[in-house]
Amino acid sequence: MKYSIRNKALLAALTIGSAIVIGMNACKVPDSIAAKSGAQLWGENCNRCHNAPDPHTFSDDQWDAATEHMRQKALLTDMEITKIRIFLKTANK
Amino acid sequence: MKRKKTLILLMSIATLSVGLVNTAKAQLDSNSIKEAPNSPQGGQEKMLLAGEITTEWQSARINSATNGSITSPVQRFNSFGIQNPSYPFDAAPLGIMLMPLIKVNNSLFFDCQVGWDVTGGVSLNEAIAYYRVAPMCYAFAGFVPIRTGLYEGIMDDFTNRFCSTPIGMGIAAAPQCAVGIQGGIQAGYSKLNYQLYVANGPQLDTTGGPTGSITYSNPWANNLSKAVGGSIGFLPLSNSNLEIGLSGQYDPNIVNQNDPYTVGNIKTTSVVAYLNYFHVFNPIMVRVQGQYENTVVQDFNQYTKAGDSTATAIPTFDNRTSGWYAGLTLRASGSSHTFLSNLELGGRLGQLTVPKNNPWGTGNISQTTICLTYWVTWKTPINISYDIYTPASIPQPNGPATNLPTLNSLTVRGMWFF
Repeated sequence: MKYSIRNKALLAALTIGSAIVIGMNACKVPDSIAAKSGAQLWGENCNRCHNAPDPHTFSDDQWDAATEHMRQKALLTDMEITKIRIFLKTANK
Repeated sequence: MKRKKTLILLMSIATLSVGLVNTAKAQLDSNSIKEAPNSPQGGQEKMLLAGEITTEWQSARINSATNGSITSPVQRFNSFGIQNPSYPFDAAPLGIMLMPLIKVNNSLFFDCQVGWDVTGGVSLNEAIAYYRVAPMCYAFAGFVPIRTGLYEGIMDDFTNRFCSTPIGMGIAAAPQCAVGIQGGIQAGYSKLNYQLYVANGPQLDTTGGPTGSITYSNPWANNLSKAVGGSIGFLPLSNSNLEIGLSGQYDPNIVNQNDPYTVGNIKTTSVVAYLNYFHVFNPIMVRVQGQYENTVVQDFNQYTKAGDSTATAIPTFDNRTSGWYAGLTLRASGSSHTFLSNLELGGRLGQLTVPKNNPWGTGNISQTTICLTYWVTWKTPINISYDIYTPASIPQPNGPATNLPTLNSLTVRGMWFF
């Protein structure tokens, strides 16, 4: 009986997991999202928690470390943080 | 029948695996973006020594469920000359936090936070190593402020526009030794973020904490009992303005703080739900935040130390604690007037609900906060907040309920993040 319940729980977890993954795959990243600039993503994502930072705050090397920290804190996507980092390192000149 | 079940299981696992691979492939590949070399070009290693200097002054303070001790009694500190006679206010006059961040290469990243203040000494807030497994997946290990909603570890810093701590927070989980994975995933116009981990989990506080309380100050990796937990956040809007999410942690066997190598028979379950929304209705930026936390210490009343058959006099009560807060801030960020555009006004409500019939004799307490923040720079706020703490009356078994007076507290805080 216990084995059966465990099996059912595993099946339920797998079914839900499959549904989530299939659902996500059904949603291709739209062109309008892919085309967002680093400046736009900087405004949208930084403001979720704090004011958008002044690009002149840090040097290029420092932005490399700071954006990595924010990727982990805010759990940003790879594309978002890459574009934001490039924007900050371009705008700090 | 059994063969059919096995087949279904295998098919489900195969579907999930293929789906995960496709999801990974469907993510935009950041390697396609060409990144110019840094100027001046340094080595591969990138380092930043960031940090924060804080000063805080409070006219009165309530010690409640903070620092992961879920059932701390609500204590009152009328600190004019009593709590801290050296200062007119109860004060943390100087606190310094240093945060060395080292990006070793594109795969490996170290993150550490060490705090120091004139009253509390040195503290380690976090020490984490991250390793890139895939664009949407990072593995981490270390002393981690695990994701417990959005307040702890994210909105409790200079990002806290309400200045004071919400009374109902800090009861679900605190920084712990943990290993896990986390990441962000683009799913169409929406986004998901996730964190899954195995952690040391809490311990039963038997060294002075209130009866039945737990503490997360548990660095000992004794391999006897591990907590599992996770968090999932959903950002349904394409501009990332709204995030809603759930976090949770389950520890099937917490250990005794006095005897960390002995497994007890107590379980803990914590659940957190949160919301964060901001939008600029030009010229006003509106931000709405809310979080609910609930932690249950199950079977505490049956606790016996392993190998000890002596009956222990443990009071019987339903050991569950919960808390919530909801806040709104307004800022005229689009105003052409510099001073006005840097002002942010906030209001917040919150509550801490302690276990019924708890043996330490405290009751629920609610909190109302108004706060005004002036942003000197994007990372330098000066806050002034006014809190009203209203304790519920505590029923007494033999007599009238005990009514506690309302406590008002004024807090002034300055922070400089560098």
